[in-house]
Amino acid sequence: MSSQPGTGNHFGQGGVSDDAVIPGGTLLASPDFDRTTFSTAPREGRGTARGHHGELLQGVFEWSGGLHRGLVTLPCPTMSTEVTVRITEGAPAWTVDPPWKTKALRAALATAGILGTGAAGGTVSVRSNIPSGFGMGSSTSDVTATIRAVLNAFGRDLPTSRIARIAVEAERAADPLMFDRMLLFAHREGMIIEDLHVRMPPMKVLGFVARPDPVETLAFTPARYSSWEIECFRALRGLLRRGAREGSVQALGRVATASARLNQRFLRVDRFASLLQVMADSGAAGIQVAHSGSVVGLVFDAADPDLARKTALASRGLLRVGISRTWEFCTEGDDEHLPDP
Amino acid sequence: MSTFRIREPFADAVESAVLPRLIRLSGGLYAAAFQLMKLLPAQFVLRRAMEQGLLTERTTVIETTSGTYGLGLAMVCRRLGLPLILVGDPAIESPLRRRLEDLGARVSIVSGQAVRTGGIQQARLDRVERIRQRHPDSFIPGQYDNPMHINAYGRVAELITESFPRLDALVCPVGSGSSSTGIAGFLRMVWPELILIGVDTTGSVLFGAPNGRRRLRGLGNGLLPQVLDHSLFDEVHWIPAKDAFATTRRLHTDHTLFMGPTSGASYHVARWWAERNPGATVLAVMPDEGHRYQRTVYHDAWLGREGFAGDEVAKEPLDIAHPGELGQVWSRYPWGRRTRAQVVEERATLDAR
Repeated sequence: MSSQPGTGNHFGQGGVSDDAVIPGGTLLASPDFDRTTFSTAPREGRGTARGHHGELLQGVFEWSGGLHRGLVTLPCPTMSTEVTVRITEGAPAWTVDPPWKTKALRAALATAGILGTGAAGGTVSVRSNIPSGFGMGSSTSDVTATIRAVLNAFGRDLPTSRIARIAVEAERAADPLMFDRMLLFAHREGMIIEDLHVRMPPMKVLGFVARPDPVETLAFTPARYSSWEIECFRALRGLLRRGAREGSVQALGRVATASARLNQRFLRVDRFASLLQVMADSGAAGIQVAHSGSVVGLVFDAADPDLARKTALASRGLLRVGISRTWEFCTEGDDEHLPDP
Repeated sequence: MSTFRIREPFADAVESAVLPRLIRLSGGLYAAAFQLMKLLPAQFVLRRAMEQGLLTERTTVIETTSGTYGLGLAMVCRRLGLPLILVGDPAIESPLRRRLEDLGARVSIVSGQAVRTGGIQQARLDRVERIRQRHPDSFIPGQYDNPMHINAYGRVAELITESFPRLDALVCPVGSGSSSTGIAGFLRMVWPELILIGVDTTGSVLFGAPNGRRRLRGLGNGLLPQVLDHSLFDEVHWIPAKDAFATTRRLHTDHTLFMGPTSGASYHVARWWAERNPGATVLAVMPDEGHRYQRTVYHDAWLGREGFAGDEVAKEPLDIAHPGELGQVWSRYPWGRRTRAQVVEERATLDAR
């Protein structure tokens, strides 16, 4: 079942969305109540969001009779952003630190506008370990953590689907980092194409970079798929559903590999044929890429009893291809991403 | 954690029938049973042509076909309100012709002098060209040449990948080549090792065998369609009409699945492959239902009159060294994902020795 886009323009109304609501505080505590009764100290809010390691699948997909660009991201809990918002009463100006995080600033302004915070402004302080230009969702992570921090500061909630749309408005295209489950997400529209309703089965990922130069995500021209490629994404989507239903890393790995192969025409990964060979030789379930970035990952079933041997084999294989700098993470790590109470 | 999906009524009769039902026959042997497979490319090609502005509601659709593709086009054109002219030959069955005309299609039959001088295929193409000149606003779907017929099968590939975590082999009857090229091409993106087995019939030139009379219509071809990608096939089987008819009946009695003779040929090969590969999952594509064949394949007196009596069929295919050596029995050739030119050249090399 897909969530309807564009329903509801105000938070807190019943039936806005069936999506999970971020428990950012109590709805009863209005900002006025908060300020006059409890504290004269400046109010603070905190929000966090994780990053991702590119996509399991990216392409065009049918939804409600039309075609939409969409993607499924691969969660990367070791990458995260933490945002602190300090409210300044009576001064409706917003600033961000570091100052070049302008998308986070836009997201803070948009969220404040939706909440109707009136005369209040604030400072947004962004701390992130996600490098930009690698296709790891650094800007969406900044934006999502910022929206959560502003909500937290004002003691308010918004449905996750609403947060997604604010993120898209703030940065033109956003990844579905605000959701905690697998979904096919229209990243340019902020809309769920298909909700798989399950968390991704735990995967071990051996990551590396595809090419030395970073990619500016928005400057990168969107892929112009052929008619055959557009229809081919249907086969990938079918296996995505089957893999999600069975929790099968093997099936999802094949989806990722196919998506990476289709993306070669648009953003090449160097030595791709050799990488496919390393995948086959090491028994990896698949290879996944950042479709508009530079990270690549060999994907393994984290529950595989033979995991250590396979990843060691893959590391040695990569070394032979000339890739010595690699990293490892598990998609089902400590990825608690809800704002701290 | 189960995913939740609510069923909805189909938007129309065409939409209700474009996708096959996936049916378990026994063990790892499954059927992809279509009511009328050709509905899918007919719907897809006409819809895309409309989206691309190649086709408006005033455009006349013209195609040469005497078979199920004509029926598919007639149903889709009726739903879309498009005029349709089908060019066929005198062998068109009268119940089919009546059905096409009921659906508003004009059926133009080539016969007589034109056929005797240039052959039936050329006569049909000439007729299409003449009709086209009289209809300046026309669209020819071109089931043998237009690659959009391949792309139509993405929806079938989606149904298959959604239904099977893995598939070892796909058995496809080949006529125009669009279903096998389409389904297998898409499936290979996620399952590169998938074995594709083509089912052809004696007398068909599709895979380099000698041209001859084909008693089993709808399977094989006397021409070489451009949409057929030979390099996808691992293995090719040629099924004689008699064996196909007998196994069509057997599919009905064994599994109560009432299908046409190309489905019987597909079942024959798939069952043999499944027995030789226990534990493997194999899917046999079955293109149409049995109703059209009740007075022929499902009629013992007709079978007897035509020399197809008896239900004994070969248990094993004959392995042949080259398609050029094909006789009148069920035969098998390891195509090995080569182009047709590569296989034909190999013949030249064999002959030279």
